[in-house]
Amino acid sequence: MTASHSPADNTAQTANQSSGKPAKTGKLEVADLITIGVFAALYFVMVCVATLVSTLFTGGFGSIFLPAIAALISGCVYMLLAARLGKFGGITVMGVVIGLFLFISGHFVLSFIASIVFPVAADLIARVGKYKSKALLLVSYVMFSYGLTGPILPLWFMKDAYIASLQARGKDAAYIDGVFANINTATFFISMAAILVCAIIGGWFGQKMMKKHFIKAGIA
Amino acid sequence: MHSATTSTKAHLSGTGAPLRVEGVAMTSSHNSSNQRTLDPRTKLFLLLAANLMLFFHVSVITQIIMVLLFLVPLAAAGRWKMTANFGLTFAILTGLGFLDPEAIGLPWLHVVSALAVGCTMMLPCFITGAYAFTTTSPSAFICAMRRMRAPESVVIPCVVVIRFFPTIAEDYRQIRNAMALRGIAAGGWGLVRHPAQSLEYILIPLLMNATNVAQDLSVAALTKGLGRESVHTSRTEIRMQIVDWLMMIAVMVPLMLDVAGVMR
Repeated sequence: MTASHSPADNTAQTANQSSGKPAKTGKLEVADLITIGVFAALYFVMVCVATLVSTLFTGGFGSIFLPAIAALISGCVYMLLAARLGKFGGITVMGVVIGLFLFISGHFVLSFIASIVFPVAADLIARVGKYKSKALLLVSYVMFSYGLTGPILPLWFMKDAYIASLQARGKDAAYIDGVFANINTATFFISMAAILVCAIIGGWFGQKMMKKHFIKAGIA
Repeated sequence: MHSATTSTKAHLSGTGAPLRVEGVAMTSSHNSSNQRTLDPRTKLFLLLAANLMLFFHVSVITQIIMVLLFLVPLAAAGRWKMTANFGLTFAILTGLGFLDPEAIGLPWLHVVSALAVGCTMMLPCFITGAYAFTTTSPSAFICAMRRMRAPESVVIPCVVVIRFFPTIAEDYRQIRNAMALRGIAAGGWGLVRHPAQSLEYILIPLLMNATNVAQDLSVAALTKGLGRESVHTSRTEIRMQIVDWLMMIAVMVPLMLDVAGVMR
């Protein structure tokens, strides 16, 4: 009896708590920005862990699966941020901050563009569901995960570089094509598909964890 | 009475002294870093230049010149070991890139060679990134961002991110200790054996704490006037010096020459 009663009680309480906050205008306030910062830091740590794991698994071409692994493990962070903030702009700012830190830590500058475009899209999708709809949050998380494709873009640039250096050494075009026949599009699609699958699993895991821990504790 | 004061003094020196020493060390290193590293904006410029190299596929000669240039500030900041490591890695990778698999008769070596060329291209970014990350104090970074008119909604999260990293490390240690106490995921491979479980057991407490810290930080920051609209002052001063401009020009010259096609 009490067990069936308490979730509703708690959700009412959280609703009260969130509506009782002073920052209920649509704009981001300092408190929200600090929340975003805290979660961005956690997300960045997740990205670093993902880089480590990805490098261990795939050796030299380390970061091909970086976005996928990051998507797999950071669902909780994203879901909790969306639940805590529940207003437009938060996800975007987090993406921008992550992109900035990726750039400063020596990643490719195009990663910055990816980490603005995709989070904005994710933010818009989540807003349609008012940051409550589970399905839309999952979709938005998948979208957000593609924002991390920036760091792996150089793989395609460096292919060009190797081709250029082969050409400089007088290899003919057919030979070069042969070398790169299976590196090009196949890996691209595999890595993109991996992001999709991993983001869905990670987001689902995150929502499960939310239900198991945070909603009960009245934090989310 | 007397013994009490001495005991408190001893107590103070026992706990306070390391802190104070640390503080002194920090400020002194901070001062010296101010003198011997470049302006944060110059570092950003170097990062951009390294990225442009990747973009324009510069030739090997330009690459070598640029990497040497990038290593100079790193050495000047006193990071000898890092400089040596990067220099050595670059030399080895460049050598591997020149490898001709056909001549040796081992076609599969193309993988090694391609990897080497790829890593050589990435390395300038990593060098400048490591330089920016290890030699910039948070306050200088924030000051630079404000100077560049970055919107406050980006500056504040960045401050928090930098401030929050040590907290995460500390929390992680404590969580692992607590887990070890209960015999969960003890030992080197314990975490890997149940990945989902370890993810849950580590991440959930981290997130719980993060929400609390976020609230505490907001209160503290608002008290200190972070929410004010007007211009914020900073104790750390950043200034573009002659060295900064020289460095920028020095980096731009080989890049421009290469893009213009003079140094091919």
